[in-house]
Amino acid sequence: MKRLIEQTFYELLGIKFDASSFEINRAYKENYQLYHEDSLVSYSFFSREERKDILAKLDEAYSTLIDEKKRSRYDQSLIECGILQEEMKSQGDRKAFCLISDSKHSTNNTVLRIRDELKAMVSSNPVIQEILTHDVLSGEDLKKIRRELGVSLEIITEMTKVRIFFLRAIEEDEYDKAPSRMFLKSYVKAYAQSIGLDADFVAGRYLKRIND
Amino acid sequence: MAHIWPIGGGKGGTGKSFLTGNIGILLARQRFKTLLIDADLGAANLHTIIGLSHPDTSLSDFINKRFLTLEETVLETPVPNLFLISGARNKLDIANLAYEQKTKILRAISRLDYHYILLDLSSGTSFNTIDFFTLSDSGIFVCCPEPTSIENFYRLIRSVYIRKIQQILKAHHFRKLAEKAEARNPNTVINNPEYLLDILREIDLEKGRMIERILQAFQFKLVVNQVRKQDNQKIGMLICKIIEKHLGLKIQFIGNVGFDERVHEELCKKGPFIDKYPYSQAAMDLKALTKGMVEATHAQGEVPACIQPDINTLSG
Repeated sequence: MKRLIEQTFYELLGIKFDASSFEINRAYKENYQLYHEDSLVSYSFFSREERKDILAKLDEAYSTLIDEKKRSRYDQSLIECGILQEEMKSQGDRKAFCLISDSKHSTNNTVLRIRDELKAMVSSNPVIQEILTHDVLSGEDLKKIRRELGVSLEIITEMTKVRIFFLRAIEEDEYDKAPSRMFLKSYVKAYAQSIGLDADFVAGRYLKRIND
Repeated sequence: MAHIWPIGGGKGGTGKSFLTGNIGILLARQRFKTLLIDADLGAANLHTIIGLSHPDTSLSDFINKRFLTLEETVLETPVPNLFLISGARNKLDIANLAYEQKTKILRAISRLDYHYILLDLSSGTSFNTIDFFTLSDSGIFVCCPEPTSIENFYRLIRSVYIRKIQQILKAHHFRKLAEKAEARNPNTVINNPEYLLDILREIDLEKGRMIERILQAFQFKLVVNQVRKQDNQKIGMLICKIIEKHLGLKIQFIGNVGFDERVHEELCKKGPFIDKYPYSQAAMDLKALTKGMVEATHAQGEVPACIQPDINTLSG
């Protein structure tokens, strides 16, 4: 167990050195949930000063890692201390800021890792599980699931390469905005798959409404 | 050898006895020979939960040497395979046991021939409760998703933590180390046992690490009871995260048990809840919880393979 003061920003947030901005965002939100002043989870666990220190360090960690330039400088300081190695860094800061970079080999890993995490979140979230028992799924249902997972449409666009205009149309049930039913189906599948849902299952239930 | 599960929580009214009684019934129904021990020495009422109103013998008969063996205090219950050592007729001054008495009880318990032994502990952070946790390394904590309950639970787990460190220091004659640590930070030691370990490590890295290893042998579990629909269902998991992160103790969240108005009703009728409402959410949660715990002990090979009760029926 490492003391808080000794932890790097990455350890503090519980993320890897090559974490994407999506992962940094989510890690910050999760940690904030644990430590904020009114958090039931850590109620009475920390003194007021301890909590203030932790929150200040969390904020510092977040604002440093989310900013490409600051993160790069911070990584450099870790390298100088011998905590981080050069090759890890160069891999890391290439995709530090954007979710999915152009470099081919690391892209797939990041997408897959996020998808795996989202899958785990889907199966453990009672709200989502309840929605998935519906016979048909509406755009509103998909939006609710996405919000539960804390994923933005921008991120889905990045992951799926489907234009945000179409993603929004799916959530608004504006079926005619897609060029054809075939396209609509593939967009819904891409959308579902990117957030860790079963693509065929979701597309089937979504299109059922139109077909009926 | 029996698998011993002490069950405690910081606060009264979280449902320790309720969980102990009902999990015990579920285990017994699966043909596990199960013993419940009411170690809530000052305020025993486990017998009422399983529907046994006037127990004749109790744990105090063993402590006071009225009976020479612990076996003699064991009572049969209306449920086949389920046995009870009651605390009902304990003398009023029994709530404060000497450490030696506790080790004697625990030694006697570990020699009993049962598959599962559940110890219902008292609330608060008295040495009675703490020592039963430090003496067995597989304690189960119960708390409710309420600030009062969570506060007391954190207090209890920290007390267990610091008591264990003190015991290790004493057992290994690390008195000098203990004194040095005490001198360095007399106040924070009490409120923040995690700093004690830090200080110990600073003074003597090797011994500090050894203590840390012993602390990591604990395999605590956490149940969140009386969870209502509007509560954060993940709170148990998050609490375990805080403890692992800041105390370095291993604690596993093993499940929520839903809040159910009818528990109160059934308690007033002095009957076991699980029998009256077997398909309520709370009962289903209890079954899932028990199943998970049995499977975990099976996986560790702590239950002899020859018994093999049908654990699958637990889910139905």
